[in-house]
Amino acid sequence: MAKRIVFIFLLIVSCSKKQDKTLVEKNIAENAPFLTIDASVSGIDFSNDLIPSGDLNIIEYLYYYNGGGVALGDINNDGLDDIYLSGNQKPDKLYLNLGNLKFKDISLSSKISQDATWSTGVTMVDINNDGFLDIYVCKVGKYKGLKATNQLFINNGDNTFNEKAADYGLNFSGFSTQASFFDYDNDGDMDMYLLNHSVHSTHSYGNSELRMKSDTLSGDILYENISENGNIKFIDITKKANIYNSPLGYGLAIATSDVNNDGFIDIYIGNDFHENDYLYINNGDKTFTESSAEFFNHTSRFTMGVDIADITNDGNLDVVSLDMMPYKTDVFLKSGGEDTDKVNQIKKSFGFQQQYARNHLQINNGDHFVDAALIAETHATDWSWSPLIFDFNNDGLNDIYITNGIYKRPNDLDYINYLSNLDFAKYNKTSQDTLEQKLINTMPMINLPNVLFQNNGDLAFKKTIVDPNNTSSYSNGAAYSDLDLDGDIDIVVNNLNEKATVLENKEAQLEKHNYITVNLLEANKSLNTNGAKVYVYANGKQFYKEQTTVKGFLSSSTRQVHFGLNNLTAVDSIKVIWNNGTQTVNSNVKLNSVITISKENTSKYNYKIQPKKEFTTFNYTHKENKYLDYEREGLIPENLSIEGPSVVQADFNADGLSDLFIGGARNQTSVLYIQNKNGGYTIKETPDFLKDNKYEDVDAIAFDIDADNDLDIYALSGGNDFKEGDPMLEDRVYINDGKGNFTRLNSNLLTTNGGSVSSFDFDKDGLQDLFIGNRSIPGAYGLSPFSFILKNKGNNSFEIVEKRRFGMITSSEFVDIDNDGFVELIMAGDWMPITVLSYTTEGKFENKTTQFGLDKTNGMWNVIKVSDFNNDGKLDIIAGNTGLNFKWKASETAPVKIYLDDFDNNEQLDQLIFYNYFGKYVPFASKDKLVQQLPSLKKRFTNYSKFSNVEKLEDLTEKPASEILETKYIYELRSMIYVNNGTIFTPKPLPKEAQLSTIEDVLIANNEILFTGNYYGFVTELGECSSNSGGVITLSENNMLNNVKSLNLPKDFSGRKIVKLKENTFLIVSNNGKSIIVNSEK
Amino acid sequence: MKYLNTKIQLIFVAFAVLISCGKPAEHITVTPELFHESVNKVTNIMIHDIFSPPVASRVYAYPNIAAYEILAQNSSEFQSLNGKLNEFTPIPTPADLKEVNLELAALIAHMEISKKLIFSEDRMAVLQDSLYAQWETVNEVEYNKSKTYALNVVKHIKGWMDKDNYNQTRTMPKFTVDTDDPSRWQPTPPSYMDGIEPHWNKIRPFLLDSAAQFKPERHPEFSLEKGSKFYEELMEVYNVSQDITKRGDKTEEIEIAQFWDCNPFVSVTRGHFMFATKKISPGAHWIGITQIASKKANSNVAQTVNAYTKTSIAIADAFISCWDEKFRSNLIRPETLINQNIDPDWLPILQTPPFPEYTSGHSVASGSASVMLTELFGDNFNFDDDVEVPFGLPVRSFKSFYAASAEAAISRLYGGIHYRAAIDNGLDQGKKVGHFVVEKLKDTK
Repeated sequence: MAKRIVFIFLLIVSCSKKQDKTLVEKNIAENAPFLTIDASVSGIDFSNDLIPSGDLNIIEYLYYYNGGGVALGDINNDGLDDIYLSGNQKPDKLYLNLGNLKFKDISLSSKISQDATWSTGVTMVDINNDGFLDIYVCKVGKYKGLKATNQLFINNGDNTFNEKAADYGLNFSGFSTQASFFDYDNDGDMDMYLLNHSVHSTHSYGNSELRMKSDTLSGDILYENISENGNIKFIDITKKANIYNSPLGYGLAIATSDVNNDGFIDIYIGNDFHENDYLYINNGDKTFTESSAEFFNHTSRFTMGVDIADITNDGNLDVVSLDMMPYKTDVFLKSGGEDTDKVNQIKKSFGFQQQYARNHLQINNGDHFVDAALIAETHATDWSWSPLIFDFNNDGLNDIYITNGIYKRPNDLDYINYLSNLDFAKYNKTSQDTLEQKLINTMPMINLPNVLFQNNGDLAFKKTIVDPNNTSSYSNGAAYSDLDLDGDIDIVVNNLNEKATVLENKEAQLEKHNYITVNLLEANKSLNTNGAKVYVYANGKQFYKEQTTVKGFLSSSTRQVHFGLNNLTAVDSIKVIWNNGTQTVNSNVKLNSVITISKENTSKYNYKIQPKKEFTTFNYTHKENKYLDYEREGLIPENLSIEGPSVVQADFNADGLSDLFIGGARNQTSVLYIQNKNGGYTIKETPDFLKDNKYEDVDAIAFDIDADNDLDIYALSGGNDFKEGDPMLEDRVYINDGKGNFTRLNSNLLTTNGGSVSSFDFDKDGLQDLFIGNRSIPGAYGLSPFSFILKNKGNNSFEIVEKRRFGMITSSEFVDIDNDGFVELIMAGDWMPITVLSYTTEGKFENKTTQFGLDKTNGMWNVIKVSDFNNDGKLDIIAGNTGLNFKWKASETAPVKIYLDDFDNNEQLDQLIFYNYFGKYVPFASKDKLVQQLPSLKKRFTNYSKFSNVEKLEDLTEKPASEILETKYIYELRSMIYVNNGTIFTPKPLPKEAQLSTIEDVLIANNEILFTGNYYGFVTELGECSSNSGGVITLSENNMLNNVKSLNLPKDFSGRKIVKLKENTFLIVSNNGKSIIVNSEK
Repeated sequence: MKYLNTKIQLIFVAFAVLISCGKPAEHITVTPELFHESVNKVTNIMIHDIFSPPVASRVYAYPNIAAYEILAQNSSEFQSLNGKLNEFTPIPTPADLKEVNLELAALIAHMEISKKLIFSEDRMAVLQDSLYAQWETVNEVEYNKSKTYALNVVKHIKGWMDKDNYNQTRTMPKFTVDTDDPSRWQPTPPSYMDGIEPHWNKIRPFLLDSAAQFKPERHPEFSLEKGSKFYEELMEVYNVSQDITKRGDKTEEIEIAQFWDCNPFVSVTRGHFMFATKKISPGAHWIGITQIASKKANSNVAQTVNAYTKTSIAIADAFISCWDEKFRSNLIRPETLINQNIDPDWLPILQTPPFPEYTSGHSVASGSASVMLTELFGDNFNFDDDVEVPFGLPVRSFKSFYAASAEAAISRLYGGIHYRAAIDNGLDQGKKVGHFVVEKLKDTK
């Protein structure tokens, strides 16, 4: 009886669960932005079905599951865009748009080829300038029994086509991905870039010099359109134009746009695997220069799709490139992710650029791009193919639509390590076919709902799962167009083993918003206007789009240019800048309509070419010694041995001019720069500095240790490469003879890994006392080392007043923050709050962090400074943090957690970090990393599936969280100002632009906050922070912080210290190279 | 009432025993075959779990020692290894020798220690549970007493095993790659894995005084000058492999290279698609040969365990000695040098394993094992080596253990993963370890 009750109870539970699920699904459906039009209604019945065979499958052809493309364009000039769908093992299909989202299959009558050769990318273009769109289809040929040449279907103007690729010289046969037509030399005709892909599997990364080799089947080709006796011919100009034609390129994505806005169209090529993505900058002389390293700090790694458009409405074109980072925690934990730190290092040594296996959102700053995908949270949409950037809700901001899914998921780690194992017997003796079939059958599949990121401005996106009726798709190529001419953009998606989908835009907000659609024509009525720039001006606002059709993946979208105008009620004018450098301005614009603009009434347009940035360098280059902390401590998130340099500005020789002391890294001599009367600096050789060059000076101060009225130097030694107590970690005091001659004081100082040193006469005895804040216990990342408050007893000796474990300190300052006549010691660092200690009448320091309301401010603080930002007479705190453009996300309710203990009792500290990943906690270290450090986990997790459910400490260890040595948190990753309200501080984040990277130092001058940042010490899994070298925030009267200007610094600069040299002129010292002098006005 | 109940139960139990047996309880018999089965199980689980060669050698040794020590409690033929093995203390003695079936206890201890050392315990449990259930039916009392004793010994052995520094070495610093030093080992394609077990020389050896006791002669001085000894050896690897490749897939050299590949994890990459082919480790191959020899010699349980134990100790100490040298010399692999300097497209016939080149692990292990097996079974003990048959490789016949170890060593040159010096000096190093082990253990039988 009891059994039966349980059974019934179970039934009830499971029933109610199911109900919940349907409810959720229904909710999604009601809010869905798109409606899938059923094939029986739309007439689109094409399905890209694959039948793997022994000759052709995922093992024989690495891009077997890459799917087909979509081309949308008006082939019969009836105002309605028609649909071309390419198939791999199925014949391609052409559908005529009959209006109202009804389509007619004219594949046969149109005479497009109906053989089942392997089609890939498809592009519509008016190649013969007759005003009718022709169709170019890419093919995979000459491979494993696939025989095909790329095809060019010339439009006869009567819904029929003739294949004429050979006549035009475009009958290439090889491994083609996609063709893009654009005018590379601004001579008025369309040239063609043919993107091809490699098919071989690399055994090794080899040398990046392989790029220089040629390959006739997989190398890319640039064709120039020339007229030969009145006939159009395309000739191969790849070599002359400096385009790579190599087997190293796994080209999957192409977009052509004028990214540097100089009037010449540039090319972005997305490459799969270890080869860099390419950015070919058009030199304007029929040649290109591959410049990705100059324009990007890093790119996506397995780049599959790309689109270029203005996402920030600043008139610069931004780039979205897609990769394969999963967003579901279980998939994430059992998939191969970022390279190990070692492999990352190896690839760099082979000449490859930094790449990360996540989507990139490259924001164009005019002369370079910075990736903002992590702050925008668009970085993970799993195995993703096609990004399409367009304004889906007509609110004036471009949104991003993404298709994804992989029919067979080969990067599943269980599959690689345990399921796919062939023993040698079968490998050699079973027939290859059977074997491959077995391998393929066991490969996991992943189908995913496509994603829409709705742009809310200021790099904030709302993620919506698109199309609830079709959540389980493997979607590849996609294209957009207003198919039903109702003023909004619809989408067509080519799916694997499922019917292609037509998505009608049903966004509710559309009714409130206005739009304008622009249709461009050449003077001779041909349709070859690709690359024309369209600017819409309305009520002081500017909207900018370039007319491009090839975007996303294997696809080309409508040639109409669509602008959402939000609630603007009138357009002032539309300016079109044509490829030849002329412009047409049209000020007679009817809202909510399609307006045709021809290349007529043109006038000359002058591009404002920005001069190449130049930097004024200062004669100091910081050279970090090579030490990789994570090779000693496998679970840590950052390298602590790349701190520094320390910079001290003071008048050392009492001549009224401030001099500079810059403390070097290990094996680098510290330098004393004496300022001359003319403002220049002369290096003053100091023998004791040379003698001590083995020390790493992580911080230093100028203070008068012996009350003889000159400034001595306290140099704080650090480095995570020696154990505490090692003589190489001993701090040093250099005594000034009053003329700037320094000699090392012979005394025993602390031998700890220092973080920050500050001085102040807190007991008012006329002698400068010290705070020595320490950074870490070397070899035990996470634990708080002892920090010391030292009282100066005279005669160059100190007494310990306080010795406490405050945290991993990076910055400190003595200041009377509450204006009560007693000084406070403020400090900050990693995994700790901004901590405030008050000096008491008893001569002790009392921790008042909580009283000041700062107890939940634990962050990864790099710097704190104190100043009165709002001119209310009270001192506020500004604090530089890691910023928001970071893989970890943190809040008071969902902090990053680090558990510190010797979990495996081997006398070495282990760090178990958990962070919130799209709503669920995940361990930071991969299973592979964890089992190396905690071997017992090998038994607990004999496969990756078991590991993929780990979400808390108890899943990894027997020890409950309450019993472990120490747990620390990060609640705040933003750089902040804490405003002093007298008794308590209230948080105020710095503007978004200042959150794009770490802030390492700040300087407050003339109602401006200068900041510098970027940090290269995080492990590869977290990635480099390199999206903001530095900037200036202007403080306006009402305390607004919204005006952020960037400082003229190299894009990959890693700033550590800012020093004011003179009015508006600042020295910014870097951790990774040259120091730069900037002018804050420029 | 209570008394009565107990009495009834007792009668009932007795009745049940009578019914189930029908006659006095018989002894549980343990055959050499069962030991082979337990060893084979360990081998198979290690293939699945992916163990590197040095770690695999450790996994074989401890269970064998546990079994050996139990048998030595009452053996005229074999004496305890106490006093020989480093830091080893005598195992507990059984309370009553008559009640404990030592062979049974030895096998139980073997399986229990093995289970602690491998990862996928459930795979070991399959064999264990079925045997336990069987024995329990045959003679529950004998089974329970023997098992209790076995578990006592397991506890003792585990205490000793846990102090061999294995856990400590897990979290020691990784091997640091210094790309500025052209002679220094670098991770190799296609996986570019970290150097495996850089601190294996800190593992407590079984018999060696120290990991560096049999430090081999130094390899030829690194040089890329034509005519230098080192360069000649580098070119030999390249030329031999080019020559073999030219002659096709069916050459004896390729057969030899593949036969002795013994790489536990070879990754195969096809685009985004990756999989692995897995095989046994070099140590496992020699454990397999030990099995062949024991069977051929019709060894009884004690002799079988003796052979496994001493051979696995010889192999384990050989790996400690070899790894000590590997991370002392940190020598770069031929694949890296050939790709950098001679032929960027060259691929070795075997996949380069992820650790420094000098000396060859297979040569050292084979050298040591062959000395021990010769001691145990005699020289010119010919045998058909079918250990690799489950992996699709043929049977190879050898006239002696030395002949097999010589072939195993040279296979690394054919495979394109070692220079000549690593093979010759490695074999020599291994034989020295082997002779030392033989000498040290000679009065235990």
